[in-house]
Amino acid sequence: MASVTTRPAPIAPGAPRRRRPWRNILIGTSFILPNFLGFALFTLVPVVAAFALAFMDWDSYGTPEWVGLENFQRLWDDESFHVALRNTFYYAGGHIPLTLVASLGLALALNQKLRGVNFFRTAAFFPYITSLVAVAVVWNMLFNPTAGPVNLLLEAVGVDDPPRWVSSTGWAMPAVIITSVWRDMGYYMVLYLAGLQTIPKEYYEAAKVDGANAWQRFWGITLPSLRPTTFFVLVMLTIQSFKVLDLIVVMTGGGPGRSTLVLAQLVYREGIVEGQFGYSSAIALVLFLIVFGVTVTQFRLNERRNAS
Amino acid sequence: MRTAISSVSGHVKIIGVAAALALGVAACGGGGAGAPSAGGGSTTLSVTVWNLAKTPEFTALFQAFEKANPGVTVKPVDILADDYPEKVTTMLAGGDKTDVITMKNVTDYSRYSSRGQLLDITDVAASADTAKLAGLDAFKVGDTYFALPYRQDFWLLYYNKGLLAKAGITLDGAPTWDDYAKYAQQLSSGEGNDKVYGTYHHTWRSVIQAVSAAQTGGDQLGGDYTFFTDQYTMAVGLQKSGAALDFGTATAQQADYRTMFGTGKTAMMPMGTWYISGILESKKKGESDVDWALAPMPQRPGSAEVVTFGSPTAFAVNKRSESADLAKKFVQFAAGKAGAEAIAQVGVVPALQDPAITQAYFALPGMPSDELSKKAFAPDKVVLEMPVSDKTSDVDTILNEEHQLIMVEDKSIADGIRSMNERVTKEVLN
Amino acid sequence: MTTLREAPPVTKGPSRHARPGPSGPGYARLRRVLAYAGLAAVTALTLVPFGWMLSAALKRDTEVLAIPIQWIPDELRWSNFTEIWDRIPLAAYLGNSLFLSVTITILQVLTGSFAAYGFAKVRFPGRDALFLGYIATIAVPWQAYMVPQYIMMQRAELTDTYWSIILLQAFGAFGVFMMRQYYLSIPDELCEAARIDGLNDYGIYRRIVLPLSKPALASLALLTFVNTWNDYMGPFIYLTSNELWTVQLGLRSFVGQYEAEYAMIMTGAVLSVLPIMVIFLFGQRYFIQGIATSGLKG
Repeated sequence: MASVTTRPAPIAPGAPRRRRPWRNILIGTSFILPNFLGFALFTLVPVVAAFALAFMDWDSYGTPEWVGLENFQRLWDDESFHVALRNTFYYAGGHIPLTLVASLGLALALNQKLRGVNFFRTAAFFPYITSLVAVAVVWNMLFNPTAGPVNLLLEAVGVDDPPRWVSSTGWAMPAVIITSVWRDMGYYMVLYLAGLQTIPKEYYEAAKVDGANAWQRFWGITLPSLRPTTFFVLVMLTIQSFKVLDLIVVMTGGGPGRSTLVLAQLVYREGIVEGQFGYSSAIALVLFLIVFGVTVTQFRLNERRNAS
Repeated sequence: MRTAISSVSGHVKIIGVAAALALGVAACGGGGAGAPSAGGGSTTLSVTVWNLAKTPEFTALFQAFEKANPGVTVKPVDILADDYPEKVTTMLAGGDKTDVITMKNVTDYSRYSSRGQLLDITDVAASADTAKLAGLDAFKVGDTYFALPYRQDFWLLYYNKGLLAKAGITLDGAPTWDDYAKYAQQLSSGEGNDKVYGTYHHTWRSVIQAVSAAQTGGDQLGGDYTFFTDQYTMAVGLQKSGAALDFGTATAQQADYRTMFGTGKTAMMPMGTWYISGILESKKKGESDVDWALAPMPQRPGSAEVVTFGSPTAFAVNKRSESADLAKKFVQFAAGKAGAEAIAQVGVVPALQDPAITQAYFALPGMPSDELSKKAFAPDKVVLEMPVSDKTSDVDTILNEEHQLIMVEDKSIADGIRSMNERVTKEVLN
Repeated sequence: MTTLREAPPVTKGPSRHARPGPSGPGYARLRRVLAYAGLAAVTALTLVPFGWMLSAALKRDTEVLAIPIQWIPDELRWSNFTEIWDRIPLAAYLGNSLFLSVTITILQVLTGSFAAYGFAKVRFPGRDALFLGYIATIAVPWQAYMVPQYIMMQRAELTDTYWSIILLQAFGAFGVFMMRQYYLSIPDELCEAARIDGLNDYGIYRRIVLPLSKPALASLALLTFVNTWNDYMGPFIYLTSNELWTVQLGLRSFVGQYEAEYAMIMTGAVLSVLPIMVIFLFGQRYFIQGIATSGLKG
């Protein structure tokens, strides 16, 4: 914070004219400060403390002891970490694109003037507010290898040997991904619905006059206009996917074996359960660096696209 | 909710937080500056408990203690059962001063005691009737005790009398595992909604692993798990033939063992003694009409004695307690005769073993009265469910993961056990 | 950075004459029927688990997790819905949840949208780096810094008060990020015009930006409310006294060490969804096209 308010940094080329930088700094700070104070004190400080713990050995009671990179050494040799890392990427790789498409599709479908649209929107949001236990029980029943509707359907269309879903190491993760897309699509739909309201109708009217069909209007107007929203959804989805925990814990508990064990679960297990807070923080730091790397890349790409 | 807000003056708190920042959050182990005062007077004793409303033994103990010590008030710190150890860990890290900490299991106990968060109460242990206190050994760290057990659950076999009678099976004494498997086959019947399973193995690994360890003398921390083989062969065989609900379905559908037994979906079920009070309650509420009785845990062929496994629950004193003497007195009371009587009244098995208390226990309304049930209640040997050491939780994680793989039949029994051996040796014991 | 400076170029494909396609009233009706059929199918799928919750709420505990699933209980136990009020102080828990959710939502929407203006419409050095710092913290799993945070709160003597939860959750980065993205799609020209009319930045925020962003404010409020309402771990760690408990904690009190009263849990879960449903239905009127565009015509 201090660096923002005190350093009279030169304005970057292309910054707005007319007003002097210190005034902008003051105005900008005054807008940001109320949120930033609370954020810095109650989130940023503990986060920094947790990262410091990644280089220490601490059991939550005694005095933390500096151990340098020892925790990371251990991480490198820990097979469960490698498994969890792979699973987390697997989950994110499936969950991010599928949820993005599903939530955008829902938002577009439910942004039309339809009778009962309020009901349909509420229904689409319901998975997000349904008790997780109910979600887990019902989806696990749908995915039941022998009597579940999913496999009955697959058999009916000619799949001889349908997957055993959550009872197998190979198909547990796809089952979890499908369930989580189903659960989250309504949440991101809400964000897209808000974004869709910003697109002026005039654009569509002009496009219709020009003879563009629905598909062309979608690619030419809707999608480009939604870019700030899509960017937001994409970043949030990325972050939430890499941090996923709740649904997996209730649905499979990380099993069978380690087939759905993810990084956040490992952070929780090693930290608050086992009391190895240094090691747990090291895992969290790695998780953070991955997500941060992906997010910064997304920011860069977004800026470049905006510039062009 | 108003009082909670107004009791705090905002400015002071912000300064406090700022001070905490200045101190450096990471370096705050021993201090505990500014931790809340627990009300001062030594006549109030605070005790962490899980789910007070649904765990009548706590209230029974507290009332008995208050009656025996006029002027003392016990203040329960009610924590949800689900994540009890996580909250206690967090509270203690923050310098909490709650006097008595309840140890839900011995694994948690080993964590708290090794961090030095519990008070040495060896003097109390020495004065207790230790010969009769089941499970006491589990709490011995070197020559020191940091907790005393008040409750000891162990495993036995529940069975549905009606279903066994219909199949013409009578139990006299502990069956062998071979007989048990044979009975399970005979007892299973029906299809779909009417399916009745011969037996139900809950999804916990202890159902297979702890029982093998207890009965073969195998070491669950040893790194060689071939002694699990017979038990897995039996369990996987039963679920393959449909005589037991398969593990995959049981996990995915979050099968509830009380539903399985209480609604007559299974004829037999190995389970812990805690379920006794559960059946009594659900029969009283009219939720279940199962006609049940107890048998000793099935044994390996040729076994001369009845061996099963169990786990104690204990009270410990917080090192930061400001009324440690009263806290010690409570721990002693709970482990003693008066405490045992109080909890036996509500259907809980006390750690203190005494014929009079067992008799009182079987006098509870609804308890089966046959000789075999009483015999089941007095096994010759109760082995600790999982040995306690600093390796316990790491080994536990591995054994559990491989257990799932064997039970969903993703790995053969031999492969699963080989993988247990390799992983425990390589990841934990090296 | 804004994308709406001008209408995006529409890809000119082959004109409508080249691709006639089906048209006419019959086709429109068919499309409508198909749209409804599709929506009905999706809706059915989204509501199945809720249906299970409802059916579980009308069962006995021992029927809830029976295998195979029994969708319609033998006996509908409506009495669960009256019994639960006697079993736990549900009204007080609901009140507590409401208090926390409303307070946190108001604070988050106010400070979040205010800060977002600073990040979106005021240019100053270090702005984007600071913003990235905000986003970055969202990427850290809470489980990792929960204990340091608790120690801080304990030292400030704020544990077991609502202050802890409010202070922790009201200033999240989520709202700042979301509102910033939304403000970026409001053309700078609009702000500049207002400036020429004599408005300063606070005036622009208040008079121009805020009214234009009602759909975004509504969705931020909705999502914050829902997340606070459904939060379990935060209140669990920080609130110990029973009189402070939220509804999510209250429902978990039906879970014992070895068993759980699933029927009561599901009854409570159904009841706790109702307020969210009401808010969602109510908040929908802000998702109407046209609010945002009205300002863009000038």
